[in-house]
Amino acid sequence: MVTTVLGVFISGRVFGLVCLLVIMAATAYFIRQAQAGKVPTLRRLAGVDAIDEAIGRAVEMGKPIVCSHGIATLRDATTGPQTIAGLSVLSYVARKAAEVGARLIVPVRQTEVWPVAADVVETAYKLAGKGADFKVEDIQFLSSNQFGYSSNYMGLLMREKPGANIMIGAYWAESMQLAETGSRAGAMQISGTAQTSQIPFFLVATDYCLIGEEVYSAGAYLSQDPLLIGSLAGQDVGRIIATILVVLGGLLTTVGSRVLLDIMAV
Amino acid sequence: MSNLLRRIEIPIFITIIFTLIQVIPYYVYIQPLDDAAAYIQRWILICLALATFVGVLSLLLTHGKNLQKRSKGWYFSAIVVVFTIVMSIVGLPLAEVGLGAANPIYLFLYNNMLQPLSGTMYAIIAFFIAAAAFRAFRARNVEASIVLLAGILMVCSNAPIFTVTWPPFKDIGTWIFAVPNMATNRAITIGAALGLVALAVRTLMGIERGYLRGGGAEQ
Repeated sequence: MVTTVLGVFISGRVFGLVCLLVIMAATAYFIRQAQAGKVPTLRRLAGVDAIDEAIGRAVEMGKPIVCSHGIATLRDATTGPQTIAGLSVLSYVARKAAEVGARLIVPVRQTEVWPVAADVVETAYKLAGKGADFKVEDIQFLSSNQFGYSSNYMGLLMREKPGANIMIGAYWAESMQLAETGSRAGAMQISGTAQTSQIPFFLVATDYCLIGEEVYSAGAYLSQDPLLIGSLAGQDVGRIIATILVVLGGLLTTVGSRVLLDIMAV
Repeated sequence: MSNLLRRIEIPIFITIIFTLIQVIPYYVYIQPLDDAAAYIQRWILICLALATFVGVLSLLLTHGKNLQKRSKGWYFSAIVVVFTIVMSIVGLPLAEVGLGAANPIYLFLYNNMLQPLSGTMYAIIAFFIAAAAFRAFRARNVEASIVLLAGILMVCSNAPIFTVTWPPFKDIGTWIFAVPNMATNRAITIGAALGLVALAVRTLMGIERGYLRGGGAEQ
């Protein structure tokens, strides 16, 4: 039986809903501000800036670019958005690769993501006026098995020796294998994930690594769309709320008070 | 008509509606919405079942071309094609004709090929970590030196030879894991969660279009 507050709101989730609505309102506000011409300044993301360099390197070396969007589905609440973020980066990489005539290989694990990835890349090629260069066989479904995908990806890296290997999305235990193999294949590597257990592996084995929230911001950063950049400022409001709650929670817990915990449990 | 169907607003509209139907019942208890969310989950399962064929077709397309062109390593493609076809046929959910997960050929391939190969791939991660650690643990600057020191202390706290020789190694390792590691972990997790919410808002407002064809650009 579901217990509710005010007969509608599910108990234990009201505080989360309020926080969510506040962050959403802040994000909407900053988007409106951006529409009015007040676009916030973004700090530079070295990893995202390096994407153009990696594509250029691959072209100069006459080697392909491998760009993957992680191994998660589009459905999961926490990892699905990482796949969406990875697809945003893929969209940018595909457009650039089409413009400069580089071959782009996209390894895919989830069958449900394959049509989306193929559509994103194909349209990017068409928009660049290079529709004939798009090869559907380069959007490669490798395996739905995690380590089947991993071994296939490693084989792909060693066979193709790409000039650039871009991995942005949700990765699990295979992250180390992919990053290390990419390094051995001589590829310039840009990685990014919000999976905290995998970030250290990407950090040590790739040239650039996007950490946590940077993954979600990459698409907005690359597009330079004022509305998307404005939405990033909304995150800062959430960050301020989180900081206040952390400090307040630490202090109250130290003095033995459960007030904040009780409020959060509503 | 075809131009109308290709309008970018259609997938954005579908995304917004289906996202809201899934998100609202998490916070608000409204029986019809709950039912709608459960109903959509069933749709998703059907879509996923159909997507399986997309994967098989993509696999056959890629490796079929390798075979056709006799590309380098074509014999590996032959193995993939043969086993994809065999597994696809014997794994069909038609128990009445002896196919499916209980089929002896399917079970043999699953237990004696897929499982051992997956286990092997998982196990070799240890060697990749060792190789990466060798490259990462170099005291090139202050930050790298801190990582190196923390790494050495963690190794010492996990290796019985060191904890037996000097028991405080265990406490130091526990402290590193529970305090600085946990603080960093939570900071990244909170930051990632906020980024996720912002992405969700952008998607719901229809301005995050990177996942749409060509980044959502009109054609």
